[in-house]
Amino acid sequence: MIQLIHVSKSYDRRVALFDVTMEIEKGEFVLLMGPSGAGKSTLLRMLIGEERPDEGQIFVQGKNVSRLKQSEVPYLRRKIGTVFQDFRLLGKKSVFENVALPLIVQRSSEADIRRKVMDALRAVGVDHKKDQSPNSLSTGEQQRVCIARAIVNGPVVLLADEPTGNLDPERTAELIELFKLINARGTTVVVATHDPHVMKLVNRRVMTLMQGVLIPEQRGGDRVDA
Amino acid sequence: MRWLWYLFRAAWANLRTNRTTTVVAIVTTAFTLACVGIFLLSYVNLRNAAAWLQEDIKIIVYLDDRISGEETRELEGRLKADRMVAGVRYISKEQALGEFRAQFPSDSHLLEGLGENPLPASFIVTPATGYQSPDAVSRWAERARTMAGVAKVDYNQEWIDALAGLIRYIELTAIGVGMILSAAAVTIIGNTIRLALFARREEIEILRLIGATRAFIRIPYFLEGAVLGACGSALALGILKLGFELFRQQISSAGRFQGIENMVSFFPLSICVAFVAVGMGLGVAGSVVSLRRFGEGRG
Repeated sequence: MIQLIHVSKSYDRRVALFDVTMEIEKGEFVLLMGPSGAGKSTLLRMLIGEERPDEGQIFVQGKNVSRLKQSEVPYLRRKIGTVFQDFRLLGKKSVFENVALPLIVQRSSEADIRRKVMDALRAVGVDHKKDQSPNSLSTGEQQRVCIARAIVNGPVVLLADEPTGNLDPERTAELIELFKLINARGTTVVVATHDPHVMKLVNRRVMTLMQGVLIPEQRGGDRVDA
Repeated sequence: MRWLWYLFRAAWANLRTNRTTTVVAIVTTAFTLACVGIFLLSYVNLRNAAAWLQEDIKIIVYLDDRISGEETRELEGRLKADRMVAGVRYISKEQALGEFRAQFPSDSHLLEGLGENPLPASFIVTPATGYQSPDAVSRWAERARTMAGVAKVDYNQEWIDALAGLIRYIELTAIGVGMILSAAAVTIIGNTIRLALFARREEIEILRLIGATRAFIRIPYFLEGAVLGACGSALALGILKLGFELFRQQISSAGRFQGIENMVSFFPLSICVAFVAVGMGLGVAGSVVSLRRFGEGRG
């Protein structure tokens, strides 16, 4: 599903990723661990075509993302749901309108939008808040709306960049359960986090990045000094 | 169709969010385009006047005083038979004197001291359609000068040539001024679009990340530019029409230029439509410039 082959990336001589090679299978749930500045966000940005590697190649669903034309990038992003740490919700639009955005840009039909948005909102448990502004919701609810928007068009991959950064332990546990649920439906999930508690909650494959270098794999539940 | 609704709503939101800037942009664009319109209106009217004068051109063939009545009739026959001539009217010496007195009543005493009527008889020749161009008229006049009994051939070509020169000058000025002021309109609208882009930068970023194409992101701003340009040019037409009617009223009441108010005309509908279309084009050009500067459309 996702393959990185000897990928390196630097910003002004600062190495963000160095010779990273990894493979994530279809339907996997992978934790990408590492402290701030380890290169997790850079890696996720590369997967959605936001950044290009200086060296190496990246494949998503067999497509070489590193060689994608600019005009093809939007179509790649439609297959990948992204959950942002800062949610990136539009306060002037309702929860429904925020979640509908990915479907609107794909020119989905009105009936499809209504059905899929309500399904996504129900899946994350905020369907009763559909007419409210995201600004009136709690942090946890905003994060759920963000996830609903990421899954609304049935992506093959869900990427989450520090999704628990703004949540308390209880909300973090709920969120991880939600990701497991989404994964159980067949979506490949990659969660980037620096929070070791998340690792304890997820008994899945863990990939750790330290200063841009991928270190040998562990499984969730193992102790990590990240 | 929600996506279409979304694009129109986004454009409308841009216009409403920066209401003051929108109004200022429309008014400034209107005055800028009205300046271009003044040149265009002058150009159109002068061209019409030139065409009208060209169509109305008359050639005066003055006759030698020594010419006999028989020779005069023969010359009239030759002129009427000419395929380059549409009409011939004979003005006798007496008619010429009568017309002079009618046109210049205060100066008629000047001729009385001369005793004999000094004004020559003449033929007023109207060139046939297709032979009214300056070249054709000039060639015909040259030929007429060689005819027996002809003393002099005169026509108002110099006037027409002077008008053609003025039209060319106005045309060049209109192109120059038009280009400069169009660039100004593009900048004014472009700056307004930039404000809208800045206000919606977060939304643009989100749209990019969830898979919106460049066209999808750009369309609301193109629409906004087109609306600004169309409103600005329509308002410019309104200003021009108002100014034009005031001008016509002024020359009508002044009395000195009687008849001119009926010769001048406002733009026909086709030019009005083209004017608004150009305004829309300039608006879209403003959007393109701003979107490029803003750096929208990356990946």
